[in-house]
Amino acid sequence: MNEPSSTINQEDLPGDFAIWIFIFAEMLAFGVLFVTYAFTRAKNVELFNASQLTLSRTSGAINTLVLITSSYFVVQGLAAIKLGLNKHCAHWLTGAFLLGGVFVGIKMVEFHAKFAADITMSTNNFYMFYLSLTFFHFMHVLMGMVILAVIIMKAKRGGYSAQDHVGVETGASFWHMVDFLWIILFPLIYIIR
Amino acid sequence: MNHSKPQSNRFFTLIWLTLIVLTVMTFSLGEAGMSGKGVMLTLLAITMIKSQLVANYFMGLRNTKFLWRAIMFGYFVIVGGLIAVAYLMSLK
Repeated sequence: MNEPSSTINQEDLPGDFAIWIFIFAEMLAFGVLFVTYAFTRAKNVELFNASQLTLSRTSGAINTLVLITSSYFVVQGLAAIKLGLNKHCAHWLTGAFLLGGVFVGIKMVEFHAKFAADITMSTNNFYMFYLSLTFFHFMHVLMGMVILAVIIMKAKRGGYSAQDHVGVETGASFWHMVDFLWIILFPLIYIIR
Repeated sequence: MNHSKPQSNRFFTLIWLTLIVLTVMTFSLGEAGMSGKGVMLTLLAITMIKSQLVANYFMGLRNTKFLWRAIMFGYFVIVGGLIAVAYLMSLK
C-alpha cells in the first residue's frame, strides 16, 4: 500500500526533524559550556564554592519544579491532541505557557538581585558562567514560550487533528529540551560543590 | 512499525512525581551543605535518571529508534562523565 510522503514513522523522532537538528545543536553548545564550567571550577574551587553560596538554591529548585511540571502539561497537551481534542490541548499548553512565565519571573528576580549587588559577568569566572549559562537558557525559555503561544492559538482555532499534529510534537520536543537542559544546569551551578 | 504500547496518563503522572521527588532530593543535599566525591556522584546519578526520564518518556524517545535514545544517553554519559572527572580533579 502506498503511503503519503508526509506519513510519520513512529520510530522516528517526534515532530519535524528540523527541530531535532536545532535541539542537538543546542545540546552540544550547552554541553560544551557545562564541561568548560566544571574544568574552570577545578582550577578555582574556593572562589566557585564561595560564589555559589550567594545563589538562591530555593529559586533554582522552584524553577526546576516549575519546568518539570510545565513539561508534564505539554505531555498531557500532546496526549489530548492525539485524541483530536484541540480545546483540551490548548488548555494544557496554556498551563505550560503560564508556568514558563513563572520561570521567567523568578529568573528575573534572581538576575535583578545580582545586578543590584553590582555583580556582573566580569565580577569573577563563576558569575561569568552563572550569568551566561542561565541567560542563554532563559532566552530558550522565552523562545519556547513563543512557540507554545503559536501552537495554542492554532489549537484554539481547531487547527490540529488526531492525524495531523506534527506542529504540537515539534513545539513539545523543543519545550522538553529546555527542561532537559535545566535539569543538568540546576545541580551543576546551584548544588554540586 | 512500532509495537510498543502507548503510555497512559497515569504512567506520565508517575514519571512527573518521580521527577519531583528526585528534584527535592537534589535540593535537600544542597541545603544540607554536603560535598565530596560520594555526594557529587550521587547528584550526577540523580541528574542522569531525571534527564533520561525526560528524554525517554516526556520527549517520547522510548518509542523511537535505538540511535536516538543512544544519542541522549551518550550525551549525558559524556557530559556527566567529564563533569565528574573535573570535580574529582578538584578534590585531589
